[in-house]
Amino acid sequence: MIGEFEYLILAAAVRLGDEAYGAAIRKEIEHATNRRCSIGALYTTLDRLETKGLIKTTMSDPTPQRGGRAKRMVRVTARGVGAGTEFYASVKRVTRGISWEASRVRIRP
Amino acid sequence: MNGFWWWLVEPISGFLDSDDREAVLGDVLESGEPGARAFCGVLGLVVRRQRSLWLNWQPWTILMAVILPLGFLLSVISRETSDGSAVYVWMYANNWDWALTKNPGFWRLLGETSIWVFLAYLTLGCWSWVVGFVVGWLSRRMAQINRLVLCLVLLLGELTAPRYFEFLDQYERRASGLPALPDGNAAVFAVAFYRVVFPLMVQVLVVTAALWGMRRATAGGKPGRILRAVLAAVAALTLAEMVTQEPGLWFMVGPRVWAHYSQLALWSSVLHLRRLLEPIEYWPIIFLIAHAIRKRKLRAAVV
Repeated sequence: MIGEFEYLILAAAVRLGDEAYGAAIRKEIEHATNRRCSIGALYTTLDRLETKGLIKTTMSDPTPQRGGRAKRMVRVTARGVGAGTEFYASVKRVTRGISWEASRVRIRP
Repeated sequence: MNGFWWWLVEPISGFLDSDDREAVLGDVLESGEPGARAFCGVLGLVVRRQRSLWLNWQPWTILMAVILPLGFLLSVISRETSDGSAVYVWMYANNWDWALTKNPGFWRLLGETSIWVFLAYLTLGCWSWVVGFVVGWLSRRMAQINRLVLCLVLLLGELTAPRYFEFLDQYERRASGLPALPDGNAAVFAVAFYRVVFPLMVQVLVVTAALWGMRRATAGGKPGRILRAVLAAVAALTLAEMVTQEPGLWFMVGPRVWAHYSQLALWSSVLHLRRLLEPIEYWPIIFLIAHAIRKRKLRAAVV
């Protein structure tokens, strides 16, 4: 099964569709989690996901907005969609019947 | 991001693959994040990438079997070449007399010396280029880090080469049982310029040629199968010639091996073979000329 960060990347890439690339995925994750996402973690995980066959990356044509640099475009494969679905289903299953708000109130001293 | 941080981020990103570098620098520019944060992010990625590469056996094999021995050997040859030519430079500079120019023998000797020095440096330059080419070819993905490692090895070799000569001298004297002879070139190397600065200048030539060779090997696409085979063969022959030209190395292998070689007269066979290989060592010049002609033709075709 994929890890939490891998899931975040897959979900962000699916949401972005044809506009999924490094900087956009990073922005999406930072916005969703309110946490910083480092370039190192992002690109290393993208490599891992590609090795697992969950995504496919290609280099785009250079764009003037980025100083003439190309983008690494990300496309989620059918296996990636399956892995994301499985992860989400597991989270839902393990969370069933739990109320985090109630637990927080109970644990508080 | 201001110029200072960009000045730091750009060279660091050179340790990444060209595609990675392109995408990461574009992302950094697009996100507009603060310079220090961008630098830490790119540095973090470089460290992760290098860590995963160095967890394999290939980079270690290239380091131990190619970069370290060839880098050290190149430093030793560089030192020999610089010391050999320093004696002539010192001789002409310290004994210059205009009256000598009227002597035809002087011009003949000067001509012979100049040709010897020129060929020695041409050979050194070609060997350095070939070493860089081989290192670059074997480690295209790690070219940037190996460039740095090769420079460090050559710097270290520059410092350790004189120790190697001292050790070899002592060893040879012990093996032959002959007493130490006074150094005939002591006056030359008493001058700091010939002892320190001149060898360093020669080592700069070695580093430049090696980096050039590495750049040539990593630039552009992969050559065709036939050209690859030819390049591999001539590079292997050049390295073989370079390794066998340093008899001190065979002493280092062990006295028994050395004695065995001497008894079987293998060494003289090696020397004969070396003479046949000598013209091959200049192949980088032919390669670079051919490459320049091809490039010019391609440019003309595009225009």
